Amino acid sequence: MIELYAITDHPGPALPDARVLRVVSRGSLAGVYGDAGDEAITPDALWRHEQIVEELMQERTVLPVRYGTRFADERAAGQVLEERREQFAAALERVRGAVELAVRVIGRADQPKVTGPAQSGTEYLRARLREHASESEAVHVVHEPLSELARDHVLRPVVLADERMRAAYLVEATAVQEFSATVQRLQDAHPPLLITCTGPWPAYSFTQS
Amino acid sequence: MTTIAEQDVALIDLLDRLLGGGVVIFGDITLAVADVDLVYVGLRALISSVATAREQGVLPEMGDAL
Repeated sequence: MIELYAITDHPGPALPDARVLRVVSRGSLAGVYGDAGDEAITPDALWRHEQIVEELMQERTVLPVRYGTRFADERAAGQVLEERREQFAAALERVRGAVELAVRVIGRADQPKVTGPAQSGTEYLRARLREHASESEAVHVVHEPLSELARDHVLRPVVLADERMRAAYLVEATAVQEFSATVQRLQDAHPPLLITCTGPWPAYSFTQS
Repeated sequence: MTTIAEQDVALIDLLDRLLGGGVVIFGDITLAVADVDLVYVGLRALISSVATAREQGVLPEMGDAL
């Protein structure tokens, strides 16, 4: 079994770790893969996978592939490259020159939760309304200014307790510092919110059309 | 934010991306069972680390009104 890490341009620069990585190419596209291991899925294993994709990202445009994508052999991976050639080529153009930044807004933790066992229907509705208002406010004060600095963005449903906003921004590689400085300004201006920003990531959230 | 909290936020953002992003080739989730546990562990890590950072006074005070 082989594991596919990313789709990139062909031909491209030499692979960062030629001992581990190999390339299957079809036309102007290449898939970078390695032997699929049987290690447990731990945070360390995920970070190792990420490190490989980030190293690739240093010198080329990459379309990261969903973690755990495996093929029987190189030929099977090449067949997919060929079948979806136009889609992958278009996706590569959309992310070229850009990186992904992840932004999350978390509110204060002592607000009543929606899912308490002892809540009445009215309490539930009030709490839900409060949460909804908080989410809208976070989008207004954080997302709107950040989206102006991005080529594209994705807003995701919030999942964590007290989470108000979860977003990914596709930002020109040259504009990362400006984006980061803006996040810091927004944090300074809105102390009740905790705003986190991580990246630059490969453009995981912008691989679909 | 403390270093630990930053690492936890980064891990959750990593999970979001590796397990929920990227090109989907088979249209199925190859790691369905493992995903859930990992994400759960990650989310707990973030919540506890944010709480710890707040207790230590390294996060901004949370105001009453949002």
